[in-house]
Amino acid sequence: MSGAALAFEDISHHYGAGPDRVDVLVHVTFDVPAGTVACVVGPSGCGKSTLLSLAAGLARPSAGAVRWDGREVKLGPNFDLGMAFQQPGLFPWLTVRQNVAIGLRTRGKAKAEALATADEFLGTVGLSEFLDAYPSQLSGGMAQRVGIARALALRPRLLLMDEPFAAVDAFTRIKLQQELKALLRRYAPTVVFVTHDVSEAIVLGDVIVVMSQRPAGVQRIIPVTREDRDRSSASYARKLAEALACLGVTSGMGGE
Amino acid sequence: MSRMQREERAPVARYRWLAAWRDRVLLPLVGILLVAIVWQAVVMLYRLPLVVLPEPWAVVRTLAGLLPTVAFWRDVGVSLYEFAAGYATGVVLGVAVGLLLGESRTFRLTASPVIEALRFIVPFAWIPLTVLWFGTSYTGKIVLVAYAVFFVMTVSTTRSIMQVDPTLTRIGTMLGMGRMALALFVHLRAAAPAIASAARAAAAVGWIAVVAAEYIGASAGLGVMITNAATSLQTPTVIAGMIAMGLIGATVSAVVGWLARTRLDYR
Repeated sequence: MSGAALAFEDISHHYGAGPDRVDVLVHVTFDVPAGTVACVVGPSGCGKSTLLSLAAGLARPSAGAVRWDGREVKLGPNFDLGMAFQQPGLFPWLTVRQNVAIGLRTRGKAKAEALATADEFLGTVGLSEFLDAYPSQLSGGMAQRVGIARALALRPRLLLMDEPFAAVDAFTRIKLQQELKALLRRYAPTVVFVTHDVSEAIVLGDVIVVMSQRPAGVQRIIPVTREDRDRSSASYARKLAEALACLGVTSGMGGE
Repeated sequence: MSRMQREERAPVARYRWLAAWRDRVLLPLVGILLVAIVWQAVVMLYRLPLVVLPEPWAVVRTLAGLLPTVAFWRDVGVSLYEFAAGYATGVVLGVAVGLLLGESRTFRLTASPVIEALRFIVPFAWIPLTVLWFGTSYTGKIVLVAYAVFFVMTVSTTRSIMQVDPTLTRIGTMLGMGRMALALFVHLRAAAPAIASAARAAAAVGWIAVVAAEYIGASAGLGVMITNAATSLQTPTVIAGMIAMGLIGATVSAVVGWLARTRLDYR
């Protein structure tokens, strides 16, 4: 879709100072080629979400640089960007369609055009019946779909997703993964997808970036092929075992 | 719906109506009646003269006599006008300053000491100065009400802006909002229910302030009516005025609460 790519160049990041200083990321370097999906996995608290905040321009790295399209990411709004979070973070005072349209309005779209686009993307995620519902009237899975529709409606070239399916049940999660895969195929943004779930990373990612314990660096980058994504295949099991071994977990599958 | 279903449902609907009537009419009336009984008993037990404490019925008669008079409604109108002008000014300024305090650390550090010092000076302490500056005109009372309301609104707005879920800020930034848009369209809107609750509390504070200010320096208003009646030892009129003050205050608070609930509370 575009020639843009995201590059993390020798990123280090810490919070606090002096004796209270907590190093979160050290010398993190990896690229995400345009139109591909990089799934970041790692132990809890290793700085995966911090990595996304740096890519989104919500914080500045203590050292190193994040480059988007060759330009250093600065603090502040980035109009190429869409984000989805673990908590969908819908504005509770707006209806579902207004929640999706508001980002388009911020980007200067006329009200009618923004609402029409919102309706289109909500239809894509199967929520046409709930355009005028309020977030409090939605289930967790539905709210998450709205969050994804809101991010995609911006037609972002860069999509950052921070454990978007962590708070939904297993059945809904698999359904949402399938829907997201179809949407990513259709719109082909560059994606960084943070998850705890290694199997989710294999199903969705083109590469899996395995982070180490805090202070975290990139422990390994594992490429994922089309065959690996078939949950019933032996190559899926091998990939799962490989990623889990990096995280210090024995899968018990023995590569079979 | 079958006949059997209708028969099963009918008593439930009737009981629901009865329960609503009991909760909204009967129980509040019982409360008022109990107060009147205790009041009457105290008057009878201690054989209190009319000038010290009149019987409830005497006060009701006086209030009924006041209601058709132009003078009573003129006093009510003056108090309501002073309240409305001061309240609107206090709410607008209080929310604006509270928003700035919540959004800007520099402004918070600069203005907080002044605001903290001023908010502990009760509005009534300003009455002598407002009489000196504005005489017994409406302006002095409006300023006092605005002052009383301002601090309630400022403190609540600041606190609720600072407690807005940071996820909403991140979402707003992701959607491309700058600082001003975040403050106005995300933070202020997210804080609206808390600000609305404060607005209701501020209405009570403002109403008390306007009537209290009229006791001391004014030429018209409910406070003046009560003071004049007290001077001529018309105790039933004093208490009737107090009851009118309470009823109007409760009505104002209910109207503000209703507006806040229906217009601002998204929860």
